[in-house]
This record gives sequence, structure tokens and C-alpha cells, in this order.
Amino acid sequence: MRSRSNIEIRRCRPLLGTLVDIACQGVPDDIDRAFAAIENVHRLMSFHDRQSDVSRMNRDAFHRSVRIHPWTWRVLKTAQEFSRRSNGVFDITVARELVKWNYLPKAHNRFSACGNWRDIILEDDCTIRFRRPVIVDFGGIAKGFAVDHAVEALKHAGVTAGIVNAGGDLRTFGRVAHVVHVRHPSEPTRVAGAVRLRERAIATSGVYFERRKRRTRYVSPLLDGRTRQSVRELISVSVAAAECIVADALTKIVFAVREKAAALLAHYHADALLVERDGAPSWMFRSPCDTRDQTRFD
Amino acid sequence: MKSELVFVALPISAIVAPSAFAVQYLSVDQAQRAIFPGKSFTAAPVKLTAAQRKAIEQASGVRVLKDEQPVWRVGTGAWFIVDEVVGKHEFITYAVGLNSDGSVKQIEIMDYRETYGGQIRDQKWRDQFVGRTSKSNLKLDSDIKNIGGATLSCRHITDGVKRLLAFYEIALKH
Repeated sequence: MRSRSNIEIRRCRPLLGTLVDIACQGVPDDIDRAFAAIENVHRLMSFHDRQSDVSRMNRDAFHRSVRIHPWTWRVLKTAQEFSRRSNGVFDITVARELVKWNYLPKAHNRFSACGNWRDIILEDDCTIRFRRPVIVDFGGIAKGFAVDHAVEALKHAGVTAGIVNAGGDLRTFGRVAHVVHVRHPSEPTRVAGAVRLRERAIATSGVYFERRKRRTRYVSPLLDGRTRQSVRELISVSVAAAECIVADALTKIVFAVREKAAALLAHYHADALLVERDGAPSWMFRSPCDTRDQTRFD
Repeated sequence: MKSELVFVALPISAIVAPSAFAVQYLSVDQAQRAIFPGKSFTAAPVKLTAAQRKAIEQASGVRVLKDEQPVWRVGTGAWFIVDEVVGKHEFITYAVGLNSDGSVKQIEIMDYRETYGGQIRDQKWRDQFVGRTSKSNLKLDSDIKNIGGATLSCRHITDGVKRLLAFYEIALKH
């Protein structure tokens, strides 16, 4: 490994619809490479950009097979895996409701009022089609995937420690543990707790900034794929896992089914923390695998 | 790979006190070097006329809150602009590098401050951040380095950049 200065550098750019913050023991070139990886994900998976793979799928995949980038293919495969394992609680075709509730811009194509993740057909390598005219949005899992790739890029450049934070989807690497504060569910500018992480990703989902009133009830962009009802309680869910894409997908499932997600969390060797609206942690799940002794929770 | 997860209980004071999460990423000088490495900069601040302000607002659909815009001319016709945006919970200073054809080269966040909405709109509170190259003497929670669940939108920056592109067309491009 080439020698490098031990100075911590930290940069932040607007990407993926949020602010992406990268800190590492490295040189500016390393951080530029990590941002370049995130920009690639942004270009491929943005719902807003009409040239992205996601937009091309939403426009054309019902009419014909669409060839997508291997990265997009991998995120789609992961999404389908989570849909299968959660019996449809996790479902990227909830984009339909997100458009209806104005969380996403109106798509130019028409789409049916039904259909779900089972209508996404993964054909041969990197080719997909839709069996019904559904629309998809990768949402947080694209962010998680981008964080994972940024960490890869930093490691590949020889960086030994750092942290990549894309609006609450973050991953740390290196010998030293990082402390991450979690927002208070009902007062997002306050903190409810802190988590210490080493070689670990964490994703936090909360309704706080995004809850809206629609007619007489509140809606949020977090919804259960089976019922298409949004989770409206002011809670915050944090999930820690080895990969950020996994952590992000699991937060959505824990949000919808709470304790019932335990088996799935165990399968992915993940830990979870649920914080209620009063700021008190109400449920915590610890991975049965190797992290038990290191958890301290008062 | 060894993983570790520890939930840390915070003292009551930390929970009751507002979390003034703040990060200073780059000074003006550092942001210049980050966006245009090895280039020379000539300060060329712009003071907008009322007509220009109106034209920018009409072209971008974004309100112009200040008459004065810190601008630097870079080497061969490129531009470096420092700007601020205020959100509901956040106050952000950022730099935009424009290529000589007016396209965006790079955006870097210079300063990010987050606190209560009421406080952030208070001019006195905001004045504390004027002159960002010097360290702020405001007491901030230095323990908070990373914050989770911060799905803050970057909409204000997107709007800010839209406004700056109109600013370029109306006040810089000649």
C-alpha cells in the first residue's frame, strides 16, 4: 500500500436527492472517486431523470424487454429478494402510491391501478420486463447501494478508514468505531440516542420530515407493499447490517411489521432499534450472530 | 469481518437540548482549490439592481434574498460563486463552479448548520456564520459528528443552483 497522510478530509455534495457526506483518512482524489461512484448510481437509478434505467423501465418494460446496467440489475435482484422474503411487505412498485401522493413526480406513461413486485420479470442477464404496467422506484435501496459502492471505491483506493453518509443511509469502515446519533422521532432536530458502529452499515427511516396531510389523514412515503397503507406513527427505525443496501431494505420492513421482522433480521445478521414518538426505544433486536456481547443498551 | 453495535445511552441534557448539528467542510479558499485545482481567482462580487433581481426571479422561479453575490473569476472565463440557502431546519453555505459555457462543473457544501426552524430564520443567529473562514464562536454540540435518519432533502440547494444559473445568464454572461 502506498503511504498516505493521516489527515481526515470530509466533503459533502448534493446527490441522490439528499446531502452525501464522506469522511476518510485519505486524499481528495479518493473522495472524488467515491463521489463518482455515487454519481453513477444517481444517473442510473433516478426516478426523475428521464434517461435513467429506472425511467426507461417505467416507460418501456411493459411493452418490451429492457436492457439495464449490471448495477441496476443487482439492485433490482436485491429488491425482488426482499419482496419474496417479506411476502410483499417490501415492494418497489409502491411507486404508484408515491406518485399518487405527490412524493414522486407524475410519470408520463399510464399505469394500471393494480400489480406488484411479482409483475417484474427478470429475464436473461440484465434484461427485464413488466407483466403489467407497473412503475418502480428504488428509493432508499439505491441510496444504500450507492453508499456500499462509495465504500468499495475508497477501499480500492487504499483508504483504510472512513464513513459515507447519504442522508441517513451510512456505512463505516476501518478499525475505529464511529458514533452515529439518531434523530428524535417527533422532534427531528433533537437526538434520541446514539449508536456505536465498526465495520458496519446503518440505515434509519423515520416519518418525521416526510409526513403529509392528504384529505383527512396523514400519509408518509413508508408503506406496506401488501396493503398499500402508509405507516403514519411517528417512529424511527434503525437497522444495522454488513451492507447498507440490506440495512435500508430492512428498515422498510421493520417499519411495517415491527417485531414480526425478527426472523428476517436474524437471516441477514442485522440489528434493529425502534424508537417511539416520545423518544424512548421500544424494541431492539440483536443479531444472534457474533455481536451479542458487544451490545450495551440502557 | 468483525462487526460491533453498541447502543449508547445519552445523558438527559443531550436529549433535552436542541441538537445543533453543524459541520464546516470547506473554507472559501479550500472550496476554490477543490473545484478548480491549480487555478487563479479574481474576486468579482456582483451587486444586483432591482431589475436584475426581478429578472432572475422570473427566469428561475426562485426568490432572490440578497443583492450581493460573492463571485470570483477563474483563469479562462470560468466562475466560482459562494451562496447560501435556508431550509426549515438547516442553513447551508455552498460553492458552485461554473465552466466558461455556464454549465455546472461542481457543487461543494462548505458549511452545514442545523437547528430549530424559528432560530434559523433569525437574522442575528445567521449573522454568526458570516465570515465562514473563521471558526464560529457559537456553542455547538461538537459530539455530534454523524447523524442518522437525516433524510433531509437537498431541494433548497437545487433551487439555489437554479437561481445561480439565472444569475449567470443575467449578471455574469456578457
